Amino acid sequence: MDELLQFLIAGLKNGSIYALVALGFTIVFAATGAINFAQGEFFMLGGMLGVFFAGLGLPLPMAAVAAIAATAAIGAVFELLAVRPIKGGDPLRIIMVTIGGSVLLRQMALHLFGPDELPLDPFTEGPSLKLLGAAVERQTLWIWALTGLAVVALALLYRRTTFGRAMRATSIQRDAARLVGVNARAMVTASFALAAALGAVAGLAVAPLTQASFHVGAGMGVKGFAAAILGGLGSPVAAVGGGLLLGLLESLTAGYIDPLYKDAVALVVLLVVLFVRPQGLFGGSGRVKM
Amino acid sequence: MRGRTLKLSMAVLTAALAVSLAVSLAVMTAACGEEEAAEGGEPLKIGAIVSLTGTYAGLGEPEKNVIEMEVARINEDGGVNGRPVEVIIEDDATDEAKAVAAASKLIEQDGVVAIIGATGTGQTMAPRGDVQRAGIPQVSMAGGTVITSPVDPLVFATPWSNLIVVPFTLEHIKAQGITKIGLITDSGGFGKDGQAVIAAVAPEVGVEVVSDQTFNPGDTDMTAQLTKIKNSDAEAVVFWTAGAEAAIIVKNAVDLGIDLPLFGSHGIARREFIDGAGAAAEGVKFAAGKVLIPEAYGEGTEAYTVATDFIDRYTAAYGQAPSTFAGHAYDALYLVVEAARRIDGEITPEALRDEIEATSGWVGIGGTFTFSPDDHNGMTVGDLTMYEIAGSEWTLAE
Amino acid sequence: MGGRTLRALAPLAAVAVVALLPLVVTDRFLLKVFTFAGINALVVVGLALLFGHAGQVSLGHAAFVGLGAYASAYCTVRLGWPWPVGFAVAGALAALGGLVLAMPSLRLKGHYLAMATLGFGELMALTFQEAEPVTGGVDGFGGIPFPSLGPLEVGDAAALYWLVWAVVGVAVLAAYNVTSLRPGRAMRALHGSVPGAQASGVDVVGVKVRTFVVSALLAGLAGALYAGVVGFISPSVFTLTASVTFLAMAVLGGTGSLAGPLLAAVLLTLVQYIDALIPGLPQEASQTIQSYREDIYGLAIVLVVIFAPRGIAGLWSRRGGRGEAA
Repeated sequence: MDELLQFLIAGLKNGSIYALVALGFTIVFAATGAINFAQGEFFMLGGMLGVFFAGLGLPLPMAAVAAIAATAAIGAVFELLAVRPIKGGDPLRIIMVTIGGSVLLRQMALHLFGPDELPLDPFTEGPSLKLLGAAVERQTLWIWALTGLAVVALALLYRRTTFGRAMRATSIQRDAARLVGVNARAMVTASFALAAALGAVAGLAVAPLTQASFHVGAGMGVKGFAAAILGGLGSPVAAVGGGLLLGLLESLTAGYIDPLYKDAVALVVLLVVLFVRPQGLFGGSGRVKM
Repeated sequence: MRGRTLKLSMAVLTAALAVSLAVSLAVMTAACGEEEAAEGGEPLKIGAIVSLTGTYAGLGEPEKNVIEMEVARINEDGGVNGRPVEVIIEDDATDEAKAVAAASKLIEQDGVVAIIGATGTGQTMAPRGDVQRAGIPQVSMAGGTVITSPVDPLVFATPWSNLIVVPFTLEHIKAQGITKIGLITDSGGFGKDGQAVIAAVAPEVGVEVVSDQTFNPGDTDMTAQLTKIKNSDAEAVVFWTAGAEAAIIVKNAVDLGIDLPLFGSHGIARREFIDGAGAAAEGVKFAAGKVLIPEAYGEGTEAYTVATDFIDRYTAAYGQAPSTFAGHAYDALYLVVEAARRIDGEITPEALRDEIEATSGWVGIGGTFTFSPDDHNGMTVGDLTMYEIAGSEWTLAE
Repeated sequence: MGGRTLRALAPLAAVAVVALLPLVVTDRFLLKVFTFAGINALVVVGLALLFGHAGQVSLGHAAFVGLGAYASAYCTVRLGWPWPVGFAVAGALAALGGLVLAMPSLRLKGHYLAMATLGFGELMALTFQEAEPVTGGVDGFGGIPFPSLGPLEVGDAAALYWLVWAVVGVAVLAAYNVTSLRPGRAMRALHGSVPGAQASGVDVVGVKVRTFVVSALLAGLAGALYAGVVGFISPSVFTLTASVTFLAMAVLGGTGSLAGPLLAAVLLTLVQYIDALIPGLPQEASQTIQSYREDIYGLAIVLVVIFAPRGIAGLWSRRGGRGEAA
């Protein structure tokens, strides 16, 4: 029984990370109608920049904030330089540009920080906690807390602020939003910054467990996208659900079938959902909803 | 309209190909010129294929450093039988196609008598066809068992193989009174090979694998596998991987409250493992060659002198202690050079291959090499020692 | 003056230059580099058809190359079949894979195929690694013989070069016909506007699926050639990185012409072997270029998509004073 509990804890831990990355996909998709292939690289940058700022001597909380802010800024600059110049916002060309951009971001990290894995201290030191016979790492609690915080903050941003309402309006109807005075272009830039920040939070939270490395972006991008597709690309809530579900599926597969199939789970889920129910499990009509 | 555009495009294509052709011609001419210039010195040409870029850049760079440093030293001492040694180093970019092209270049353009390399197992295996056709010996610095097992008459390897590290490690475990182990290995080449060797050797040693777990390279969480080991009646955990995941395994094990002894492979003989695992690395044991702590060779022995001399010179030249991979490059280079020195007449690839295979009791960094027609790895369990991580440093176990 | 004649002769001249290269260049190393360029070109011609003429991108073509490579290796080594049969099986299996993948995903809107190919590519990469009895796993599959046509073994560097480029030639010819004739027009119409194409009676999904299958077939054949030329294959060759490289070549080559992608494939392949082309280039310089190779690919994609969406082919057709009127 404690075995099952341990698998569930591991699944929800990884699932939370997938959820944050998946959220990034849905935010950019809502604003542009395109998939941002560089989303995984924002995850990678969060960890790498966290290590970098901590290495400069900043205390961990400051280093974390700096890493998230820097990644968000990189996301915004990325949008301004690469995505905005595309006339008409053709989603196919946006996808292509983010493919090229993801390669550049990864290579930039490689040239700046080197090929080795870089360690980051846990947010709180100490032995793991016991929960009904299962062990919970302290860092796992941090991952859950930060994921919860990010989701709540995002919900408040969307529902309570003018900025959030403008983002939602843009995602529903770009032209109509512009008519009522929303700067749609700024909204696209903001969506990239926001998506980058969410990716960075995930990358930072997981770095003390796995170490940061320049090459982890693409793999996490696929997992995050599978989670987003599983839940439904149109809705942030569905993306979080998809992330947690994917994490649990992986963990139970590793625990009860064979760990070798763990990575295949996300890929099979991705293909099957694309083919059978492209609007996702929790998506209704496939329309964009917030 | 479209037809014309296409034809026009063809014109441009023609022009481009003509340019490539002209460039190739220039290369040919230049290459011919170089060959003539080299006639006078008659250097002994050896090729080296290392990964200076790509995934294995971190391993290939020290290998290149060692080769350059030692070639200079060999030539200062008069070279090989009066001839200077020239090692032509090619970067395979951790890419198999590139390794094949590099081998073609070394064989065809440079006319080397032996090839050192490559850094990785795939890059060692990929150029086999070209090397075989040319009939020249190849000494690899990669650790895959597949390189020397089954034995290929032309191919030798210098790293410690799982075939000696596994028995050594299991004997050590058995000596601690442990008979039941939980095993966790990666599904990549190193771990899969280790898993197979452990499964074969464990019954002979009298150790039982009570839980056999695997994970994929790149996995970030091993709690599922470790929970199963924890719930088995294992008395020790053996983890066999050379990747960054090793640090995750020991951290997860500590977090799950597993207080069994942890045994790793020689793949964790890297600073990155200690840095990555932090406090969780304390008490982890692993077997490897003696180069990490030369005292293990026994002070005053020839091996101790060779190793400390090498470590001192490398540290002086590059500002840091050599990695184990640097040691593999040292051994690969000298196995070729020492064999060439033993040849009286013309140094042909065939004669060189035979002499390398005849190497007996040569003391290198990885250990003492004795090759035979059945053994192209050449080391024994006697070349290994058991390390324990204590105070974030390697120490000799016991 | 003779401009028209020149243009008519240009394709012939191009063929002559490619065909005669081994007579001039006798260095096996250089020939091998140009052989690799030909193998890449074969994949890129297929991708260019898909991208330029059907408005689709694939991030999984390395998987089709791998499928073809393993299929031909298995047929020739394990089953002992003649090489041409293995070559045909390689193409057929890759085409079948393409069909299975394209049928469901092409019914959906644009970007889903890209994601499906990405997932497919990663899944195949895992399969190559895990299906050890067939693929040899991470240790790779070695001892693959040279291609042979009947009793004739194609083992000489020049012969391999000719074989590869002959296949490229046939593929280009086939692609040229596809783009000049009716289905081609249909495919281009797709790139412009799907409703427009539908209105003019084009079976949109059918054309897209067929194009994708053709591109997968070419990639499979390229894989079989790669296996024969190198003699050793392993999962680390057929990865997302390779797929992105192929995509960069196709994007740089551009739409509306096949000469562009061919040229781009050759040029970007040579980036990797720069030391072969420029004699006396210091090792540091070629190593720097090597370290920044992927940056070059990434940058090529970004710059071309933003500034020259029709690739290098677009540059010269614009200079020639004609746009994409047809």
